[in-house]
Amino acid sequence: MNTGREEEELTPAEIIKVLNEMYPCRSDFIENLTALLLNIKESLPRALYIYGHSGTGKTVILKELLRLTKKSIAIKTSYVNCIECYTTKILLENILEDLCDNEDTDIHCENLKEFIELLKRFYAKLRQTNLIIVLDQAERIRDMDANMLPSLMRLQELAGLNVCVVLVGQISFEKYYAQNGLTDIITLHCCQYTKSEVLLILSNHFEVARNNLRRYITTQQLDKNDTKAKLHIVEKITMEFFNNYLNILLCVFYKACRDLPELKNTADVCFISYMKPVFNQEVDVTDAQKLWRNITPTLRTALTQIYMPSHNSAKEDKRLFVKHHGKKRNRLQNINAKAKVFEKRSTAIGPKTFTIDRLLAIFYAILDEKVGLTCNLLSQISTLVQLKLLSFVSGENNVMDGAARLQCTVGLEFVVFIGKVVGFNVRQYLCDFM
Amino acid sequence: ATTRIGTPKRSIHMSNVVEELVFDKREILSTPTLKSKKSLIFNKEEEDIEKILQRVTPKKPAEKTPKRGRRSNSNYLKDSETPKTPKTPKTPSQKLKMLRSGELTPSFKEREKIDQSKSTKNILQLARECLHVSAVPLSLPCREKEFENIYTFLEDKIKDQCGGCMYISGVPGTGKTATVTGVIRALQKQVQEEALPTFDYLEINGMRLTEPRQAYVHIYRQLTGKTVTWEHAHTLLEKRFTTTSPRRMTTVLLVDELDILCNRRQDVVYNLLDWPTKTTARLVVITIANTMDLPERLLMSKVTSRLGLTRLTFQPYSHKQLQEIVTTRLSGSEAFKSEAIQLVARKVAAVSGDARRALDICRRATEIADSSKDKEICVNLLHVQQALSEMIASAKVQAIKNCSRLEQILLQAIAAEVARTGIEETFFMGVYAQLENIAHYSGGVLIPTIGQVLRLCSKLGAQRLIICEHSRNDIFQKILLNVSMDDIHYALKVTSDATT
Repeated sequence: MNTGREEEELTPAEIIKVLNEMYPCRSDFIENLTALLLNIKESLPRALYIYGHSGTGKTVILKELLRLTKKSIAIKTSYVNCIECYTTKILLENILEDLCDNEDTDIHCENLKEFIELLKRFYAKLRQTNLIIVLDQAERIRDMDANMLPSLMRLQELAGLNVCVVLVGQISFEKYYAQNGLTDIITLHCCQYTKSEVLLILSNHFEVARNNLRRYITTQQLDKNDTKAKLHIVEKITMEFFNNYLNILLCVFYKACRDLPELKNTADVCFISYMKPVFNQEVDVTDAQKLWRNITPTLRTALTQIYMPSHNSAKEDKRLFVKHHGKKRNRLQNINAKAKVFEKRSTAIGPKTFTIDRLLAIFYAILDEKVGLTCNLLSQISTLVQLKLLSFVSGENNVMDGAARLQCTVGLEFVVFIGKVVGFNVRQYLCDFM
Repeated sequence: ATTRIGTPKRSIHMSNVVEELVFDKREILSTPTLKSKKSLIFNKEEEDIEKILQRVTPKKPAEKTPKRGRRSNSNYLKDSETPKTPKTPKTPSQKLKMLRSGELTPSFKEREKIDQSKSTKNILQLARECLHVSAVPLSLPCREKEFENIYTFLEDKIKDQCGGCMYISGVPGTGKTATVTGVIRALQKQVQEEALPTFDYLEINGMRLTEPRQAYVHIYRQLTGKTVTWEHAHTLLEKRFTTTSPRRMTTVLLVDELDILCNRRQDVVYNLLDWPTKTTARLVVITIANTMDLPERLLMSKVTSRLGLTRLTFQPYSHKQLQEIVTTRLSGSEAFKSEAIQLVARKVAAVSGDARRALDICRRATEIADSSKDKEICVNLLHVQQALSEMIASAKVQAIKNCSRLEQILLQAIAAEVARTGIEETFFMGVYAQLENIAHYSGGVLIPTIGQVLRLCSKLGAQRLIICEHSRNDIFQKILLNVSMDDIHYALKVTSDATT
């Protein structure tokens, strides 16, 4: 944030201060963290596990802490995300690159034994150096070699160095215990923000929101007077007004979502539409009641879309894609989707499986005109499988002898929609709706 | 990784060379080297034979005792001083080359301090030395019949100059390998006295091979001292055993741990047993394994038929025999009371009849007697009793007794859940419900959370008191009890009585 301070060395107290400024409402967490990691006079804990829901600021605060300590004193840090490391070698080499950076030579490390040897050799003279290794998304370590987690947790003991391994994850540590047991670990919980805390943090975005508004106005390319008048209104917006808006926002959203980054994005987006009536001089700035009525429908639609970018699966993307471009496949999609729904006695249980023979039988039963069983027809089934509208449940290897079982993966609405396009009533064929 | 053969790799590290050094040293310790073999063959120097005999005689673990190690070490030093060996190598790759060709003999680093002499040791220390498993006596007591059996078999084969096979079986610690090496020693003495034609003696151990095919490499190394790839070694051996040569003499091959050499194709075992059938080979193969019915159970019929019917089974020692073994070891020493030896012999004979076990227990008893600081230096019944309880008694009850309160309750809960459902495999959920009940009844115990119990589970699982899955399955993980229910009841009932 303030680049001037980065150059000089920071004492732990100063680091706490900076962190508290940047991340409000996390003073307890920051205090615990710095007490454990930045206490240079004492040795570091051998392992630390930090857990909490997504969007509670675990990673951000840790990263910032590492960045601030990098400049100061005898602390060497390393940050590695375990998702990136699909083999042990990559994980260990990433850590070594961070910790042993003065060496010009390439680092080669195949296994934990070499890793510990290299660490020992590099820090042979700097025995007192504090080493902090942060492993984000630590859930993945459980899927690596079985010796990985136990040895990382005992790295201090194995390497004989003042090293602390900080694991960051979203699940509690009870899910990490292997059959052979683990050594004890210090756990630190990062709890979710309360409503008032969220409000406080979001209200820090007042300036950002105002800048967004200004940008929005200038990009609209209105005549000069209009722009001036609108900018004038923007200047008049007060903190109180913004907080009022946030209150309304949270009334709707807080029930569904407590993820701070998500809320931040929505607040930014919705603020513009919130301000629109004011710009058009339909409503006065002070008339909160009217503004509230105006904004609520927008918020409700936004609420339904809030997870779209982050939680839409690839499957549904394909679905949308096929809907727009896959006209020629419509007929078969229709039929096969019907086959699925035909199976499904109750929509809640989930689709049942069926064989290709049965699919074709239903296809011919439903279709009025007689179509020859050509290779095109059969190849469309495999195309549907490739597009993940159908999926194989079993017997993928012997499709030809009829042992393969298929399952339909699209929802009811989609099927009904296709039915409308082809002019065919799906519901009349469904047991549930008869 | 220890037997690195084939084309030299580009990245040769010092550590590999050192490994090879140590390994080769051990390998050759128990078997004669190239030069000594030659001298044996041509019967040139009697001195050398003495040396070889010394080297051949000790059983495999013998090299662990420092005394023997140093003695053989000096031999090797002398060997390397002979003019034939080239000067010290300059680079590691040169060194590796020389190691492969057998020009360089691996040696240990010598200890600087000199061991204390015999006079300063007390009776118990001397007894301990006699009782060491590696100090194999020259003639094994209680194995005279088996010795006779093997001796006549080998003597006949060597005299008749033909090949043959023998299969020796018996549970571990019944003196199979010691007897066979004893027979070889006796035969070599006969050769020395020129009462018998000379013969080659080779030895491989299945446990020391990384792979069955490495057997060829080891056999070839013992014949020539050179290390080559297994394919090459195989063709060379094949050539040696299938072609006639006028000066061919009998080769005695000892194959220890035969069952390890059995892979799916069984080509190695087949070859080892097929060569003796060739008239040109003059190979006698003695195979040793633990199970009596190994040929019928594991081997293909063509291998079994070549193995033949000359079989010998070493029965486990009875308590009288064990008693005799220990007393002969201690001959003349006053360190043990006779009833103490008898107790050890009876206890061990009842379980396994393993002589090594009996010797280990006796040695432990001398250590206990040593530390007890009694005036009389003698092992009595109490010391033996203590050693037996240390080495034979199960530790499970002790482990349960020393568990924390919650861990004990958890064990009780698992036992209760097994009793309730009647199925050995329990689910965590049911166990937790039982644990809540028990905690309620016992009073004064705060009911732990599921997370805490999961941690306890992994702790008990690590101690193998229970068998559980990874805790990522949390409440659906399956739990098996690894101790008997009676053990739990016994351990917990005794403690609760003691506390009240």
